Amino acid sequence: MATLYITHDRFIDHDTGPGHPERPDRMRSVHKALAADAFDALDRRQAPWRDDVEAAITAAHPKSYVDDLKARAPSPGGDLVRLDPDTVMSPGTWEAAMRAVSGGLDAVDAVMGGDVANAFCAVRPCGHHAERTTAMGFCLFNNVAIAGMYARARHGAERVAVIDFDVHHGNGTQDIYEREPALFFASTHQMPLYPGTGALSETGVGNICNAPLRPGDGKEPFQDAFESRVLPALRHFGPDLILISAGFDAHRDDPLANLQLTEADFVWATGKIAEVADKHCEGRLVSMLEGGYDLAALERSVAAHVGMLMQAGA
Amino acid sequence: MEAKTAQAAGAGRHEDIAGFTFEQALKELEGIVSRLERGDVEVEESIQIHERGEALKAHCDRVLKRAEAKVEKIKLDAAGAPVGVEPLDAEG
Repeated sequence: MATLYITHDRFIDHDTGPGHPERPDRMRSVHKALAADAFDALDRRQAPWRDDVEAAITAAHPKSYVDDLKARAPSPGGDLVRLDPDTVMSPGTWEAAMRAVSGGLDAVDAVMGGDVANAFCAVRPCGHHAERTTAMGFCLFNNVAIAGMYARARHGAERVAVIDFDVHHGNGTQDIYEREPALFFASTHQMPLYPGTGALSETGVGNICNAPLRPGDGKEPFQDAFESRVLPALRHFGPDLILISAGFDAHRDDPLANLQLTEADFVWATGKIAEVADKHCEGRLVSMLEGGYDLAALERSVAAHVGMLMQAGA
Repeated sequence: MEAKTAQAAGAGRHEDIAGFTFEQALKELEGIVSRLERGDVEVEESIQIHERGEALKAHCDRVLKRAEAKVEKIKLDAAGAPVGVEPLDAEG
């Protein structure tokens, strides 16, 4: 079966201002990577703006939070609105954010419905730092957390896991999932680094698995973190659907952190997660873009990651 | 915890640097290097300005990386159709 690729040109319209690392060119790099002949077999769909998107968001964020951000979003031609030193809303942001969440919902529908083997959503803004009531770290709504909760509510997936290999800890996903035993969150990330959470001792109700890495760590410590912590915990949890917070900023060329991974490491991790998906949930896997701030590294890493998804789904 | 954008490799507490141009960062960095080389700085301050220097260096690296990416893009575009790309003129 095919791998689904969901994106939209509106994700380029989320403008973060000059000099910001989470910039529209990131989306252009991803689009360029997946325009290559090697990706002809992808099932390509546009991220919609779904009517039920705000209802889906309120599973993870209070309605008052959604309404507040909506009210603060600038109108066409308006100035950028700074939510914190990192997190910005431009006139194009609200539509991008709605399509980013909607893209995840469509991917869950397609994967849970058996239309496709697995899916990759290339979206902006990213989501994994967005806590229940706090926009931060370039993130407004927690795309991946919302997609997982929607899979439970709409498709009866009883147990949903999120694996996050972005170099920053997915504090938002942890915040939203940590009290719910049927939701699982595991993360590899550099520590110390923004946002400061993600210690080994943060275990939720036994459903959170953090595997912090040291600045300078590369392939071996990363693989060890996966083999000794993330994958055993994931297998033990026994997911009905696996979501990936696919950030590529653990790459050695990334300007925001100091890990030393390469495209090959992302392929390896993707393959290992896909193996668990095959064993536990008929390969059901939805990956959503998070970080990755060196454009050339991002382009190569996304190509490598999606190539592995296609191989796993074939 | 400081801002995510200020945390690029060793940037630490020096959030202001994120807004610096390459020239601004390099100028301050050169000043730090010459002070450290002269050796007339107290130990505690030398640690602080060394940290500052690391943050400035990281910022310069980032700016250069972005510039490289742009240059690469121009090359790629030019390979297809070198429209709008002026050759460098050493005299001009």
